[in-house]
Amino acid sequence: MVERERTRATISLVAVLGLGLLLLSNSESEAQRRKPPPPVAKETARGVGEDIKRKQEPGASEAVQADVSARNVAVTSSFNGTEIVIFGAVDNSQQPSAESGFYDVVIVVEGVPGRVTTRRKSNVAGLWLNTSSATFDAVPSYYAIASTRPIEEIATDEFWSTHGIGFQHVRLTPAFGQAQALSTEDLKQFRQAVIRLKQKEGLYVQDQYAVAFIGRSLFRATIELPANVTVGPFTTRVLLFRDEKLLSQYSVRLTLEREGLERHLHAIAFGYPTLYGIGTVALAVAAGLIASAVFRKNGAH
Amino acid sequence: MYFYLPVAEMSANIFIFLAMGGAVGFLSGMFGVGGGFLMTPLLIFSGIAPAVAVGTEAAQIVASSVSGALAQWRRRNVDVAMGLVLLAGGVAGSVVGVQLVGSLRRLGLFDFFVGICYVTFLGVIGTLMLIESANTIRKARGGVVVSARRPGQHSWIHGLPLKIRFHRSKLYISAIPPFLIGLFVGLLAAIMGVGGGFIMVPAMIYLLRVPTNVVVGTSLFQIVFLTAATTILHARQNQTVDVVLALLLMVGGVIGAQFGAAAGERLKGEQLRFLLAMLVLMVGLRFAWQLVAEPRDLYSLSSAAGGA
Repeated sequence: MVERERTRATISLVAVLGLGLLLLSNSESEAQRRKPPPPVAKETARGVGEDIKRKQEPGASEAVQADVSARNVAVTSSFNGTEIVIFGAVDNSQQPSAESGFYDVVIVVEGVPGRVTTRRKSNVAGLWLNTSSATFDAVPSYYAIASTRPIEEIATDEFWSTHGIGFQHVRLTPAFGQAQALSTEDLKQFRQAVIRLKQKEGLYVQDQYAVAFIGRSLFRATIELPANVTVGPFTTRVLLFRDEKLLSQYSVRLTLEREGLERHLHAIAFGYPTLYGIGTVALAVAAGLIASAVFRKNGAH
Repeated sequence: MYFYLPVAEMSANIFIFLAMGGAVGFLSGMFGVGGGFLMTPLLIFSGIAPAVAVGTEAAQIVASSVSGALAQWRRRNVDVAMGLVLLAGGVAGSVVGVQLVGSLRRLGLFDFFVGICYVTFLGVIGTLMLIESANTIRKARGGVVVSARRPGQHSWIHGLPLKIRFHRSKLYISAIPPFLIGLFVGLLAAIMGVGGGFIMVPAMIYLLRVPTNVVVGTSLFQIVFLTAATTILHARQNQTVDVVLALLLMVGGVIGAQFGAAAGERLKGEQLRFLLAMLVLMVGLRFAWQLVAEPRDLYSLSSAAGGA
């Protein structure tokens, strides 16, 4: 009897607390369902069609156009990274076939710039602790380069340097008023550390053969956005090359936005922190009281 | 099943954190401790930013202490006057502690400081408990009856001003020592993400001479309000409380504690204390290792919004 009572009480406790979680997971899938389907098919048809028409005018210069599979990516409670497809077409394509390697395409995706502090540990009396740091402004939270072949083969280092493309050339501006004076050598090391750590977190990625032509003018690439990516606007630059020369470029914006429950919770936590704190405590007290009620029921019998 | 944590800003496997809550809940139910000193390190080692781990764990301790505090209240084991004095000190300590967490994070020294605190307190308390429980077990084997109470003189405490009569504790002492103990525990609660029972209980028994039956109830009473205040302060000051993570830990913890309490009844007090001492020392050693061993990467990143 007591045993059965206890089992029933435990089940009801699990049910009540589990209900909250279930509700959370439901609202998240609804938010996902609202996402419009990516407009891939339409763009593809137009690209190929124009391609045939312009074959007759060989003197005209090439231009590149591109778009992404989803301009708005929803970060919901079930967000665990996503993949975006970037596709584009070369107007007045002169290349005989997709495999000819006539053109080179480089795609650069950059996340929201923000302030990043990197710290270095050193051994003080046998213990490891952070002793020096450098702060950089406008560090892209995410940085991906996809290309048809290694970018060193596509254009000169000077070119990449002036355009700020490539891990060595990402623009990291040391913030005004560092915690301590830094030598040029220190700054260089901290810079490299930022890039290396971002790569380790999967936030700085480079895929040298990710862009592929699938027709004389049409190309596509897939880029991975990991779960730890920072939400906000992303810029996508698409650059078209022929013989180390930049022929045309095009930019598209895509935005990662919190949605559904995720959005509300984040907004409350940062917009009304006191209310959020009180709410969390209320939730904790409720959980504790439900448990207490269940325990007491056990004790009564 | 993954869930994106809104404040920790990472995708987390729900079942891992439910299981973590359950396991720590089991141990805390078995040993009759809050479990903060186990949960916060576990969260940190599983990749949650230390500041978020500390802030979120405060919320979980509220949930796990409320039912215990209520049960003690019904049994009239709470000395409210004593609890309020401890709480006054505790809240003051917590306010300072939360500020300190913010400053240390900005300096990049929070991880280090948390590590030092854990090594020091877990090391000292684990060692003392280990010695005490080992002695008790040995003496019990030898057939000697052991008394938990130790005689002692604390005349200097009786000389302090601001004397208050604590009826339920049957004490007439100055409010200053309990206030200071509360202050110290509040500071630790905010920095280490613990309830502080492991310091509060021995301090009340050995320093204030509060009767043992009142100690646990009063300590729990104080912990509920202190961790509630700490949660709100962390949420307000540092935005480091993740409500989804807290909910997962609460659900797991509340269920685990039920089974743990049943398991604990089968063991003797000194055996429990011995096991708990080993556990405490292991967590302390893990932190010590992190401080002493050369890190795999000397560099680390922190963004303005993210972790410590």
